[in-house]
Parts: sequence; structure tokens; C-alpha cells
Amino acid sequence: MKSTNMQPQTRDAGTGGAAAMSALSYAFVLVATALVLTPFVWLVIASLKTNEDFFTSTFLPTRGGFFDVAWERLTFRNYLAVFEQPNFARALLNSVMLSSVTAVLATLACSMAGYALALLSFKGRTGATWLVLAALIIPPPLLIAPGFQVLFELGLLDSPWGLILPAVTPAFGVYLFRQAAISSVPKELIEAARLDGCGEIRTFFTIVLPLLRPTVSAFIMITFLGTWNNFLTPQIVMQSPEGFPLSVAIAQLKNTYYQDYGLLMAGTVVSIAPVAALFLIMQRDFVSGLTRGAVKG
Amino acid sequence: MPNHRSEQTGQPPRISVFWLVAAFALASTIGVLALRTERSSAARMWTFARLHYAMYVPAVEEWNKTNEPKVEVSLLGIQAVEQRMLSSFLTRKSGAELMEIERRIASRAFAGPLDGVGFLDLTDRLKAEGLDQKINASSFTPWSTRGRIFGLPHDVHPVMLGYRADIVEAAGIDVSKIETWDDFITVLSPLLYDDKGLRRTDRFLLNMWETHMDTIEVLLLQAGGGAVDPDGMPMLDNDANARVMAHIAAWGHGKDPIAGDAPYFSASGNRLLLEGFVIASFVPDWMCNVWRNEIPQLRGKVKLMPLPSWERGGRRTSVWGGSMLGISRDAENHDQLWEFAKHLYLSPELSRELYTKGDIISPVKAFWSDPMYDKPDAYFSGQAPGRMYINLATDVPPRYSSPFSLLAVERLRTIASRLASFAKAQGNATPESLLPEARRLLWEAQEEVMEHARRNRFITPLEGEGS
Amino acid sequence: MSAQPVASLSHSRVQSRALPFPIAPWLLMAPFFFGVILFTLVPLVSSFQLSTRQTFGPEFSTNVGAGNFKFLASDPLFWTALRNTVVFTLGSVLIQLPLSLLLALALNRPNLRGRTFFRVSLFSPVLVGAVFVGMIFAVIFDKRTGLINRALHAAFGWDIDFPWLEDYVMPSLIIATTWQYVGFNMVYFLAALQNVSAELGEAAMLDGANAWNRFRHVILPAIMPVGTFVVLLSIIGSFQLFELPYILLNGTGGPQNRGLTLVMYLYQTGFQTGDLGYASAIGWVMALILGACAIGHRVVSKRGERA
Repeated sequence: MKSTNMQPQTRDAGTGGAAAMSALSYAFVLVATALVLTPFVWLVIASLKTNEDFFTSTFLPTRGGFFDVAWERLTFRNYLAVFEQPNFARALLNSVMLSSVTAVLATLACSMAGYALALLSFKGRTGATWLVLAALIIPPPLLIAPGFQVLFELGLLDSPWGLILPAVTPAFGVYLFRQAAISSVPKELIEAARLDGCGEIRTFFTIVLPLLRPTVSAFIMITFLGTWNNFLTPQIVMQSPEGFPLSVAIAQLKNTYYQDYGLLMAGTVVSIAPVAALFLIMQRDFVSGLTRGAVKG
Repeated sequence: MPNHRSEQTGQPPRISVFWLVAAFALASTIGVLALRTERSSAARMWTFARLHYAMYVPAVEEWNKTNEPKVEVSLLGIQAVEQRMLSSFLTRKSGAELMEIERRIASRAFAGPLDGVGFLDLTDRLKAEGLDQKINASSFTPWSTRGRIFGLPHDVHPVMLGYRADIVEAAGIDVSKIETWDDFITVLSPLLYDDKGLRRTDRFLLNMWETHMDTIEVLLLQAGGGAVDPDGMPMLDNDANARVMAHIAAWGHGKDPIAGDAPYFSASGNRLLLEGFVIASFVPDWMCNVWRNEIPQLRGKVKLMPLPSWERGGRRTSVWGGSMLGISRDAENHDQLWEFAKHLYLSPELSRELYTKGDIISPVKAFWSDPMYDKPDAYFSGQAPGRMYINLATDVPPRYSSPFSLLAVERLRTIASRLASFAKAQGNATPESLLPEARRLLWEAQEEVMEHARRNRFITPLEGEGS
Repeated sequence: MSAQPVASLSHSRVQSRALPFPIAPWLLMAPFFFGVILFTLVPLVSSFQLSTRQTFGPEFSTNVGAGNFKFLASDPLFWTALRNTVVFTLGSVLIQLPLSLLLALALNRPNLRGRTFFRVSLFSPVLVGAVFVGMIFAVIFDKRTGLINRALHAAFGWDIDFPWLEDYVMPSLIIATTWQYVGFNMVYFLAALQNVSAELGEAAMLDGANAWNRFRHVILPAIMPVGTFVVLLSIIGSFQLFELPYILLNGTGGPQNRGLTLVMYLYQTGFQTGDLGYASAIGWVMALILGACAIGHRVVSKRGERA
């Protein structure tokens, strides 16, 4: 990431202290990274071990000495067992569906609203903006119980719509797109489009949205990730096991097979891997999208 | 041009994330819709115990061949069953038509008004068919509230002590002399010392710890105490409870500790049992099966004996666990489901399966004469566990369920911890020296739980209840 | 909010199909209005009423007036949950944020090899949902077979049966959350550091300021806005801790409720006991506390801006 770095090149001339500092901080970063990555490594190895090996070895199973790794004892059996669980594969599908549908719908809804609030003039715009700000402040725990009541009365319990619809218009998303629209969409462009006879809606889809692309990418990924990892809402809204996403399914797996560590770890890997893969490829956009609002503000 | 472009690196244009995710959305939605089968007319049944599930699957297949409704059994974790049960009652979206519920969870179902209980009231059916007489009386108690019975009992679950006969007999000790807990300590204490007369650090007499809430309840119920009274009101503050709690703390942390922690249901605990870290553990009938499967190395080394009583002539057993089968009030075909429930729980074939596969004795008194219960068991050094448990069956104490059970039990757990710390601090504690503190803690807890009890507007206040 | 020149409005009126008022903005806003009214405003309003009732599920409900709040004031479980949550929040913030800042500073040094790799690695736990973090750490904190006890035992002879999840619930939670979020906060700090003007740093250097003074007088003030923002985010996030203890402690509050957090208690009362009314009351108390934090944040950052 090219950036204006704070320390100019002329520094560090000959000061041994600075070199020691550099070495120290490098060591610090190395240790921290090792500590952070170890659970992941351990997780993957654990998912490939049998339960007996769980008791004897910390990482890889060994035959005798420390380096005599017993590769033949590693097995994919746990992964097979995970998918033999009724409804686990279904849970994976549910997670993909809920996350992607919510992400797409939320992106559309929030970008539309954010753009309208930023650049269109209409009666009630001020009121709507205040509405967004107010909704931003409301803490989620306040709405859990009454929200459940509302879903009950709408008959949306035990349905994926009960999870998707409430998540489609988060205030923070509207706010994000509003800021992005203000800074990235030049008014002149919009006016030019209007003069060309382009309808407002068409303007939005053909001109504005492409300009907002980085925010769209970031937001869609944030929403996808958030929905994938969400546990509380699916736990209280979904009743039938076929409707559970991975987060709930894995909690249930732990409950039934609390001692089958290999199985649990394999299930966890299956639950994390898709998202991890997607994001490690796209991490740059994700990070820049996250920090955008904070650093400027 | 807007400056946001500079934030994008010079990467080759890749597929827009938006379209990628949209593609996922479309594909997965199609997938979900395609998989969505009409909620079949099969009746769902949930259970939480792997053993039960293994037994039910063939039984249910048999039933499905010739009966309606067709039943589908699923295995869920115990918390999952609890959560789903509660959610389905609270949301009136029937989770399953039949639910096998464990004792601790059942009390949750009773937390609201009587017509809010999500299970079908079975009292009249049971009485009409005389089942309330045919089934062991104490087995009904956890599934009843305010005089109505909501579940069909699955078991009796008497508790005995399972002990390391090899160690005990090698030391020349005769356990038939043991009648009370005091006897237990006196007779077995030689095992606490090694041949030089020094106190061993790796041997205790009883597998018991303040974190074992289940076994604490076992002892409380044996002594006639417990968390709630027959009316469902908390009854923490009584003599039996105080006495038992004081003893437990003294056994673990007193002057002559005899209790050690070999956690039940854990691999490390099993290891400790193998090493002889504790001589005796609490073994209800189903625990025999757990031991058989998880600690095969103890085969031929252990025996069972009735619990030592709290006073001479007192009760020599207790109860641990229990399941019931409940029918959802929201289900449509109550009568058919009732027939199925009876078939599953009360058939002789299943009771045989229950014992031979799970070591669990049936609650149906008529089946107790089955010779299979007398079969000698090599694991328990030739004893016949079934018969031993059946002999204790009618002595099993009742345990009551109420909306406040959970809270009361939670308090008991805290008290056990606090009393343990108190005993450690006191040093050289004995059950007598701990009694006042135990009494005090129980009284406090009773007040707290009564606060909650008084607050609940859905339980009709009972007569004689003070404020 | 900038005012649109009136001319463009009349332009659009002339150019588009003649409608009495511009419908497009309302069309664009429609999904948001639908969502926010149905799923934010209606529940918000209903929460007032709900908190004055005692319920058993959404079906059975009776009026208790201020009873819920009165009971809350003396409910030992609530105070335990509140205390646990506050302790967790403080511990979490005081440990995580300095760590994140230090990492950001370290990562910001010139000529750091593999900076991207480190940044991505340190950030990666953020992708893992709290539920899954719980799954991983439930086994990591396990007594005999867990990674932590085993590693510490091998290195320092630590007690291999150290009961993390029984007696040291709070430290376990803090460790797991630190693992999960240290990279997240670090990224914010990094972005802030990289925006600190280079000239200021140079000037300070030429003035002979040493590293510590440079930090205190140049860097710290410059990253203060992001710093307070991160603190606020952390406080709000920590206050709502639920999934992690739920998984680690199997849906209970743990031994002696040491791991009972506010949202967990809300969940228990609302969705296990069925008292949605009491759960709403708890929600209100949380909202007030978080509101106070947000106000505090504004006060602090306003003061910072003035300085």
C-alpha cells in the first residue's frame, strides 16, 4: 500500500538505538503474527487428527521423537463425518443463500437511499437524514425482544425472510453510501445526465453505481461476512433444522458431539474456509472500505 | 476526476464483487427452493441421547410400516433440544410433534401459565388407561406441574455407588458392612494411606466435587432435600439440605478430605478412574453403559453397592437424570401420537432393548420380573446390575419440577462453591463446624429465589404463601 | 447539506415525464423507509410498551408497570451480568487497544519486510465469526488436550489441567477477543498513522525530539480522533458480547455465572424463560449506558478538536 510514510529517508543515519528499535519492533511483529496464526494452523491440524491423537500430541501426531511425524495418522475422516451430519451441508447452502441475498439486497437498498439522501433534493430529505442518524444510534440489544415480537406478528418466524428483511436496510449502510456519494459523485455529472434526458433511476444505475464501486465492493463484503457469522438472530428466528445457517448448525454440532474434537474442528474449518478464501483475495477493498469513514471523520 | 480512483491499485480488472455475490445469491436461492420439500406429514421426534436414538430408529421403522402417522426421529444436542423446545412453545411454531426431554429442561416448559405449557396434558389419558398405577410413581414427578402430568416417563434411574472392587478386596475390606455414609468413610479410610502410614495424594474415596451439580443433587434428594417442594415452590432452606451441603464441603476440603474430583463425562475423569484416583463414583443405571463404552479397561474390576444412607435405616438410593416423551400441544393428531408414544416407551421389546443396550431399567413395574435383569454381568464382576437397581426402584426419591427449579439449582451450585471456599478458609473443617454457614447460605438463597417466585405473574399464588 | 440549485429541479421537471412531484427520490428511498419503519421504528416504539409487561412468549402477556425496572434494580443476576460486562469491556479495551497501537506503530516503520503479509495475517481473525472463534477456543482452552495448557506446560511446566473455562472465564474471554480483534483495531491505527503528515514528523525530528516525545506530541494528537473512535467502537462491541461466551460456556453463564454478559442475560430471560418484557427492560438499560458512552465520546472528541 503506497502511502506517505512518516519517517523520511534521511533518518536512521548511524543511530544504533534506532536500529535496535527496528529489530525489536520486527521481533514484536513476528511474535504477534505467530501468536495470531497459531490457532489457525492448530485448527487445521486438529481437524485432521483422530481423537486418540488429540490426547497424545499438541500439533502433528508423532511416532516417537519430536520430528518423527506420523503423517499416516492424519485423516479426512472428520470431514466425511461432518457432511454425514444431516443438515450440515444444507446449513452451508443456507449460509451462502442468506449471506449473498442479504448482501445484494442490502447493497441495492442502501446505495439507493444513500444516493438519494446525498444528491437528490426532495421534501423530507432532512427528516430522512435525521432518521438515518437516529437509527445509527439505536443499539441492537434494545430491539432484539420487540423485534422478535414484530416478526412473530408478521408471521416471519422460522422463515429466511425473517432474517433477510430486517437486515436489508442497516442505517450504517445508508450512511456509508451517503458519504461515498457526496465525495465520489460529482454533481455536474448528474446534471449533465438529467439534461440528456436520462431518468433519475437510470442515472442511478448506469452512472452513479459504477462511480461508487469501491464502496459497493466493501459494503457487499462486509454485509456478506456479517450475515455469515451472525448467530443470535438465526438462533432465535429459525426453528426447523433445515433452515439453520452454519453458525447455528455448528453450535448444535458442539452440543451433540462435544467430545469429538476432530469432528468439531472439521466443521469449524468448513464454516470458516469459504469466507476466508473469498476475503483473503479481496482483502484490500475490504480494509479500505472499513477505514474510509473513520479516518476522514 | 474524483480522487477515489487513486485508492485502487493498478490491478487488472477483476470480476466485480457485486456480480459474483449476486451469482451466489441466485444459485443458492434456486438450490434452497429446489430442496424445500413440502413439510411432510410425518411426525417429527427429537431426542438428545445417542443411545436412545440408536434404539428408536429401528423401532420407529417398524412402526412406520403399519401405522400412522409416520414418524421421523432426529438427534439433537441437549441444549439444542432445549432451545428448540422453548422457541417452538413461545412462537407457537411447532418444532416437533414429539419431544424427548431431559429433566432439567422440562422445568423450563413449566415457566408460564398452565395453558402456556407447550406439551399436551396427559393426566386424564394416563388415569383412564391405568398407566399411573402401572408405572413407578416417582417417575412421574419431574414431568408434573400444578397437579397435571405432561410427559410419559422413560425411566427410573436409581443410583448406586460403583467402586473399585479390585482395590478394595485386595486390601481385605468387606463393603457389606457399610450402611451409612459414616460407615463408608470408616470402613474405607485405610485405602487413603499407603503402607508407610502416609496420606496418599492420589487416592480419594468418593468421586465428588462442588462443581458436580448433578451429584450434589443426588445426595440432596437422597436425604429428602432438594431444590423445590411438591408444590413447585423453592425449598432451599431446610435441615436435610444444610446437612448434606455441610458434609459435601467437609468431604472435599475439611479436616479429613475423602472426596476427589474425577469429572464425570470427561476423558480426563475416566483416566483418573482407571488410575484408582477415586474408589467410588455415583453410578445410576445409565452410567453403567457409559462406563462400559468409555472405560472398557475397568471390566471385572468394579462392583456396585447401594448408596450408604444418611441415617440408619434411611434411603439407600437416589435418582440422577431422567427423560420423558412429550407430545406437542400444537400437533394435530394427538390420539395417534399418544398411541405411538405408548408403543415406544411401554412396549416390552423396547424395554428389553433399553436394558440390554443401555443398562436402563424400565419404569413399567410389570416388566421387572423379566429374567434378563438377573443376568450376571462380567463388567461388574458377576453382579446382576438390573436386579440390584430394580430392588431400589420403589425407594427412588421424587424430584419435583417447577419454573423456579433452574434458579434454585443454580443457587445450590453457588452455595456449594462458597461453602467449599469457606471450608478451605476455616481449615480443619468438619460437617458440624460447617453447618451454621451452610444454613445461612441456604436461607439467603431461599430469600433470593422467593423474590423471583413472587414476581412471576403467571403462576397462580398458592395458598398459604405469605406475602 | 448543500442546497441544490433550483434550476436543475425545474430542468428535471421539464425533461422527465411530467409528474406533480419528483417520484424518483421516493422510489429510491422506499426500501429504506420500509425497512426502517417496520424493523427499527415499530420495535422501538413497541419496546416502550413491552418493557412494562411480563410475558411468556409473544402470546401471554400481563401488565406490570414499572415492575420490571424495579426488579432489575435488585436482581442479582442482572448486576452480575452488568459487572461482568463492564469488567470485560475495561479489560478488553485496556489490553487490546495499546496492543493494536503498538502493532500499528511497529508495522509502520520504514523498510519493513513483508508488511502486507503481516497486516493480512494479523487481520485475518476478524473474518472468523464470534461463534467460530468460540468453537476454536473452546478446544484451545480445554483442560488436558487444549493448545494453551499443553504449550505452556511444555514450555514452563504450567499446570496442564489449568481450568480456564471454569475458574478463569473472564481472562479466557479477554484472550479470545483480543485474538479476534487486535488486527482490526490495528488496521484503523495504521490508516491513521499513515495519514499523519510527514512534515510534522520531520520538523519534530529536526528539533531534536526523541522517539518518545515525538510520539507524545506529534503522533498521539494526530491519531486522537481515530483513537477515540476505535475506543468507542470497542466499548460498544464489548458491551454486546454474546456469542463467544455462549459457545464457550454451552449456553449457560458458566460456573457461578462468571461468564454471564448483559446480552446473554437478555437472551436467557427473553428466549429461554420467555419474558420478552423483562428482556426489553434490560435492553433499555443497555441503550442508556451505551448512549452515555456515545455522548462521552462526543464530549471528549469535541474537546480534542478544540485543542
